[in-house]
Amino acid sequence: MVQASDSDPLSATFAALADPTRRAILARLASGEASVTELAEPFDMSLPAVSKHLKVLERAGLIGRNREAQWRRCRLEASPLRDVSQWIDQYREFWEERLDRLEAYLAELQAEARKTKKKGSSRGRTR
Amino acid sequence: MLASQTPNRDTYEVSTPSDQEIRLTRLFNAPRRLVFDVMTRPEHIVRWWGCLGDGYSVPVCEVDLRVGGRWRFVNRHPKGEAAFHGEYLEIDAPGRIVFTEIYEAFPDTVSVVTSELIEEGTGTRLVAIVRYPSLEVRDAVIASGMSRGAGISYDRLEDLVAELQAGA
Repeated sequence: MVQASDSDPLSATFAALADPTRRAILARLASGEASVTELAEPFDMSLPAVSKHLKVLERAGLIGRNREAQWRRCRLEASPLRDVSQWIDQYREFWEERLDRLEAYLAELQAEARKTKKKGSSRGRTR
Repeated sequence: MLASQTPNRDTYEVSTPSDQEIRLTRLFNAPRRLVFDVMTRPEHIVRWWGCLGDGYSVPVCEVDLRVGGRWRFVNRHPKGEAAFHGEYLEIDAPGRIVFTEIYEAFPDTVSVVTSELIEEGTGTRLVAIVRYPSLEVRDAVIASGMSRGAGISYDRLEDLVAELQAGA
C-alpha cells in the first residue's frame, strides 16, 4: 500500500495535530507570537526537542516564522486549521445523520406506496 | 427529534477493522432492492443525502452508475456548499457497490467506500467500510464525532480546532 501521508496535505496536518505537545504549542500561539524559548517554558523539554515539534508544525503549514527577526518568532497560521475544521464538519454530519435521514425517507416511500396500493384496490372493489 | 422517525437508530455501530478503515453498520426497514435504488438513483438521493434539515439541499446530483462511471453530489447547507465526487469501482446490484469519494476542497484525499446490503428478516442491513488515505485522516474522522457511542476517543481534536480558531 502506498503511504499517502506525503502527497496528502490533510494527512500531514492531522499527523502534526495528533501530538499533545504540538497542540499545546498551537494553543499558546493562538494568544500571540512567541519565541522558541517562550514556547519551551511550560514544557519540561529541551530547546532542540521543541524545535523538532516546531519543524513538524511548520512543514504542515500550521505555523509561520518571522524570517527577518533574529529570534525567529513563531506565529499561528490559521488557514490550514480552518481547512481541517471545514473538512471535519463535512464528516461530522455525514454518516449517522444521513443514515437516519435515509431511513426516514425509506419509510416515507413505503408509506406512499402502501397508500397508492390501497387507493387502487378500494377503487377496484367499489367498481 | 429525528429519533422518533428512525426506529433503527440503535442498530448503528462503528468499528475500526484496520488502521485506515472505519466500518459502519445499520439496519433499515425496507427491502434490499429499494435501499439500493434509494442509494444510487439521483431522484432519490436528492431527497435524503445531505438533506439534514432546513437550509439543506442537494442542487447537483449526477450519477453514471456503471463501473468506471463518475458521480458528483453538491450539498448546500446553511454555511455554504460542499461538493463531493468519485468513481464507481464495483457494482453488483442490489448487494454491493464500491466507489471512491473525494471532498472537492481536499482533492488529494481520496477515500474508498465499500457498501454491502444484506437481507435481514424483512429488512436490510447496510455494512459500509470506508478506507481513508492514512491513519491520521481516519482518526480525524473518528474525532469528528461520526462514531458517537462507539467508545473511541481521540483527545478531542475537534474542540482544540474550535478553540484555536476562536483565539486566532
